[in-house]
Amino acid sequence: MTFDWSVIWDNRWRFIDGAEVTVILTVTTMALALPGGMLLALLRLSPIRVVSSAATGFVEFFRATPLILQIYWVFYVLPAAFDITLSDFTTALVGLTLNVSSFNSETFRAGILSIRRGQWNAALALGMTKWQALRKIVLPQAVLRVLPALASTWVSLFKDTSLVSIIAVADLSYVSLKIRSETYRVLEVLTAMAGLYCLMGYPQAKLADWVHRRLKVAE
Amino acid sequence: MDIDIRPLVENWRFMSQAVGMTLLVSALSICLGLAIGIVCGTLRTYGGRFIGMALGLYVDLVRSIPVLAILVWTYFAFPLFIGYSLTPVTGGVLALGFHLGAYVTEVIRAGLTSIRAGQMRAALALGMSRFQAIRKIILPQALIRMLPPLGSLIVIAVKDSAIASVIAVPELLRQSQVLAGKTYRPFEIYTAAMFVYFMICYPIARIIDRIYRRLAPLGAS
Repeated sequence: MTFDWSVIWDNRWRFIDGAEVTVILTVTTMALALPGGMLLALLRLSPIRVVSSAATGFVEFFRATPLILQIYWVFYVLPAAFDITLSDFTTALVGLTLNVSSFNSETFRAGILSIRRGQWNAALALGMTKWQALRKIVLPQAVLRVLPALASTWVSLFKDTSLVSIIAVADLSYVSLKIRSETYRVLEVLTAMAGLYCLMGYPQAKLADWVHRRLKVAE
Repeated sequence: MDIDIRPLVENWRFMSQAVGMTLLVSALSICLGLAIGIVCGTLRTYGGRFIGMALGLYVDLVRSIPVLAILVWTYFAFPLFIGYSLTPVTGGVLALGFHLGAYVTEVIRAGLTSIRAGQMRAALALGMSRFQAIRKIILPQALIRMLPPLGSLIVIAVKDSAIASVIAVPELLRQSQVLAGKTYRPFEIYTAAMFVYFMICYPIARIIDRIYRRLAPLGAS
């Protein structure tokens, strides 16, 4: 068996462009899914039954179905059922954002609930409104507690962006699979693909570990 | 828009076979992942420096590579190494199990190290061997603590089995694509598939939650 690694070097700019799309997708999705998750978490904690059960249903549904199917669903169903036509990139962004928002909402909800009831009561007793108490007392304390979970979600999201390749968004995996089918250098290209993901993902995973150690809540 | 579920009704046998394949691939990859994880997790905790470092490398590599990349690599590139090709199902189960194993390793290790050191010392003082102490004292307590994270890993494994569709494993998502392509009813078919995945994953999560809540006091040391 002979290997020809020059194919990787020859296509280096395509790999780099693909990696760029992967990074942009990760960052944009998280930027949208943080407020999205916060909104869902607040809806879930709402005292109005209909609102909270609708939000719960939404979150549970997106957490219990595969992301790859959600992307397909957005890709095929939005145009057919609601007559909405999005670019492939936007479709991918919508699918990823819905998914990650659901996971983030669970993180935020757990963070908010982890703050002792007394903190709420004290804030309300001082004459704050509920909204003020949330914003000034509860959230600042909750933020530190949710950071480790958010870091893990970030690392998963970075890897999950590879699934958008199925709807032809030119991210790192789509580009790699394309180069593979053009050059037939299967082993070299797929190994490079895994290696590139590893190169980018490893520091992120280590950083997430560090956040976990640093902000660990002592039992 | 009009909804037409006839393609689903007419092809119910095709689709239920696909659901069966999803369950089979999930179950096999979970078994493989648990086997790898229990061995590697125990070795990583008690196996000494060198083995610990080697297994740490395995875990970190898998944690930073997408499961899609592992799947296509195992199915398309790995056969070039070993010299004969894998069937999609074998390749899928191997890749998913290998991927899951790394996460199980971490869960097992975290569970084992969460048991206070005094428990091990007490067992050794009573004359147990190290192996006996792990098996009779540490593991039973640790296993209960591991239930919630293992439960989420099982749900993730079922969801990840859908990614095996990219290497043409005839599971639910793949067969939905086939049927959607034939009948031009993607809306009904993908929605039904979504519903089926939900019906598999959601109860698993709830049942494991339930079991844990009942057993939780036994895991407190």
